[in-house]
Amino acid sequence: MRARSRFPHDPVVQAYKAGVDRTSIRRNLRLTPEERMLQLVELQRFAEALRRAGRKARRGE
Amino acid sequence: MTDFRGLLTALVDGGVEFILVGGAAATAHGSTRLTQDVDVVYSRTQANLARLTTALAPYQPYLRGAPRGLPFSWDEQTLRRGLNFTLTTTLGDIDVLGEIVGGGGFDDLRPHAIELTLFGVPVLCLGLEKLIEVKRAAGRPKDLEAIAELEEIADADEDS
Repeated sequence: MRARSRFPHDPVVQAYKAGVDRTSIRRNLRLTPEERMLQLVELQRFAEALRRAGRKARRGE
Repeated sequence: MTDFRGLLTALVDGGVEFILVGGAAATAHGSTRLTQDVDVVYSRTQANLARLTTALAPYQPYLRGAPRGLPFSWDEQTLRRGLNFTLTTTLGDIDVLGEIVGGGGFDDLRPHAIELTLFGVPVLCLGLEKLIEVKRAAGRPKDLEAIAELEEIADADEDS
């Protein structure tokens, strides 16, 4: 990663950068855009499965 | 759950002129954030309005969050009279935008778009630098975290 960004300094954005997962970014940048979209679809399915499980748990099933 | 493949393929197969923007565009550039809908900026030419209405019609577009039964008709006239539509369809949610803050319309954004292959079809996607610019211009608090990640991606990409 570069020590300094070429983008205009914004203290709020800068604060958020501390929490950016650079390992995941590097991994994503090794993928093709197509692979990144397929990964999004998988992530979306996973999130939906979690939501369903949460709903079931709240209903006591 | 939004069918990203289905929505993008429907638009491409229908010959719709559009540019992918928003969270899905960010994903294509390497963002790790989960997005729930497809955002596109479409060309406002007469022919494209016809293609857009035809392409999405099978998926029953309706105003997202609006009560059922409103006199909403997905046709060229509706598109002509409006500009930006947040829609729900049987394939999931899609924002069909005539213009975006800080970026303008299709013709303004076209020079900043790159062609990517997504789900096996060619899709125009807003370039990373412009995507950051329009997110900054939108000025929404929820975008600030996304901007931070996109800037890191742009800097990392430049270094690689």
